[in-house]
Amino acid sequence: MSLGAWIGVGIGAAIMAAPLLWTLLLSLKANAELMRDSGAAFSAPYTLENYRSILQGSSLVQWLLNSVIVSGGTTLGVLTLCSLAGYAFARLEFPFRRTLFAFVLLGLAIPEQAVILPQHQLFAQLGLHNSYPGLILPGLVGPFGVFFMTQYFKAIPKELDEAAMLDGASRFTLFWKVLLPLTLPAQATLGVFTFLASWNSYWWPLISATRSEMFTLTVGLASAQMNYAQTSGLGFLMAQAVFASLPILIVYIIFQKQIVRAMAGASVR
Amino acid sequence: MASLELINIQKTYGATAVLDDVSLRMEPREFVAFLGPSGSGKSTLLRIIAGLETLDSGEVRLEGRPIQQLAPGDRGVAMVFQHYALYPHMTVWENMAFGLRNARMPKDEIASRIAEAARVLEIEEHLDKKPGQMSGGQRQRVAIGRAIVKQPKLFLLDEPLSNLDAALRMRTRLELAQLRHRVDAAVIMVTHDQAEAMTLADRIVVIHDHKIQQAGPPMEIYSRPANSFVARFVGSPAMTLAPVQLLPAESPFASVRLGDGSEVETRVPRSGLPAEGALELGLRPESVRVAPAGAASTVARVELVERLGDRTFVYARLSDGLSITAEDEGNSRVRMGETVGLRIDGTDAHLFAPDGAGYHAAPAA
Repeated sequence: MSLGAWIGVGIGAAIMAAPLLWTLLLSLKANAELMRDSGAAFSAPYTLENYRSILQGSSLVQWLLNSVIVSGGTTLGVLTLCSLAGYAFARLEFPFRRTLFAFVLLGLAIPEQAVILPQHQLFAQLGLHNSYPGLILPGLVGPFGVFFMTQYFKAIPKELDEAAMLDGASRFTLFWKVLLPLTLPAQATLGVFTFLASWNSYWWPLISATRSEMFTLTVGLASAQMNYAQTSGLGFLMAQAVFASLPILIVYIIFQKQIVRAMAGASVR
Repeated sequence: MASLELINIQKTYGATAVLDDVSLRMEPREFVAFLGPSGSGKSTLLRIIAGLETLDSGEVRLEGRPIQQLAPGDRGVAMVFQHYALYPHMTVWENMAFGLRNARMPKDEIASRIAEAARVLEIEEHLDKKPGQMSGGQRQRVAIGRAIVKQPKLFLLDEPLSNLDAALRMRTRLELAQLRHRVDAAVIMVTHDQAEAMTLADRIVVIHDHKIQQAGPPMEIYSRPANSFVARFVGSPAMTLAPVQLLPAESPFASVRLGDGSEVETRVPRSGLPAEGALELGLRPESVRVAPAGAASTVARVELVERLGDRTFVYARLSDGLSITAEDEGNSRVRMGETVGLRIDGTDAHLFAPDGAGYHAAPAA
């Protein structure tokens, strides 16, 4: 890479990283000090007081757990359903396959807001509000995931299926041992996107979870904000933001290799 | 008992015929090459044998047992794919073990079969690698190894050399030739490369237009092509086919006149030829030699000179416009654009009837 490119990338990275660093520095400052001067974030002394306050708030651990269960459950469900559907649409011959696929894709055109009222009513009638299934189920409807996995399965050469069939593999063995492992980069990408979207999801949890013990982190943190929080508790607010984003950061670090490979469009050979 | 028998195989895709009443019988341990141009149906036939395509009617028997209703894995066949089709996420060892594990073979049997195949194919040091870490030639060996360990009754090779560069192709061709003597199974190879087919096969099956055009030993296909398609398709450069007029004569062999007026005496018996209709004379390049003016039977204008080192092919045009391919010595002085004399030797020439059927020189007494 040339020097000019290095400088360009460096500037880009600095622009991207600046707000994050600013947030981190603000979270390490005492609220009282920030009330006097928000520019104090760039000078010592720093403190972990805001983080201690978060951990002392007894509900926060529960909200974190709720978010992990809801996001994890949604991700697991989406990966399972989308892999199966993607395999079926890409490889199986069945009546109305194309029509059904188009039907699934139409789901992409329907905004969440358009169906929120009937969805709320349905979940109320089923008694699913304030429950994990109530928070997880709407997230499992993933037309994008089905489309994504279908395209990925299609990109795997059919010769591999044929080789496996000649190797005496059953359809399940073929799916489980040959094709599914090859979709791992796609699974990682879809998994991270789904986890992230579910983790940041605010609107549906706000509607469905009305009891504090079922709040997810986003709803819980919002409910904990006081009036004028931005002026009176800027450091605390930033500590909450950092705290809420940590799990996502960890997920990204773990799956970084798969994500980069999938983004680079590494082909299956 | 025959190894493989194909009986009246029919296959259509919608209204398009792909295979039309194809029948073939293979001997045990025979190496047969399916040779034909793209779209001739040769790969479809191979896939029908493998069980990857269904057939509309007909029967496929392997060692006497009908197999067309069986799943691919239950047929006792193994296939080497054109693009190898190795499982990219498995090591070489796992690739070779996959089929055996599916067959629930004991672990020590799997290990010993793989060890033996790896030794024969000289891939022992690569067993822990994944296909992506190997060269094309090495992957090809693994693909062959994966087929060998299954100890099938029939090997199916789908253009196995087409992905290799020229040098590696020659080497692998030699190895395949040696390998076939080590395995106790019949082999079918699909190829569009006639040199491959000529080198490796006991018998070549030329497929074109959804039908078997001719099945026979390589030299029979080359020297006694059943029809004008086989004549043109097999042999490089292609055989020259020239419209000719049959001359009246006392001789039992046919003499013909080319469009430019030159005459060729063939060794094709006159008696078997059709009574009417235009004939075509088939001349391999080795039957047409560049000759000095005194010894030449005709003259032609040179359009292209192809120097191969040991010999030279001269692509020329006769005075009536017919393209003809001649052979000359390696250090030929012939140049493009000049007019040269050609001596046409009719001893090995062929005649083709209007329906394409071939008539050949009578065997030497």
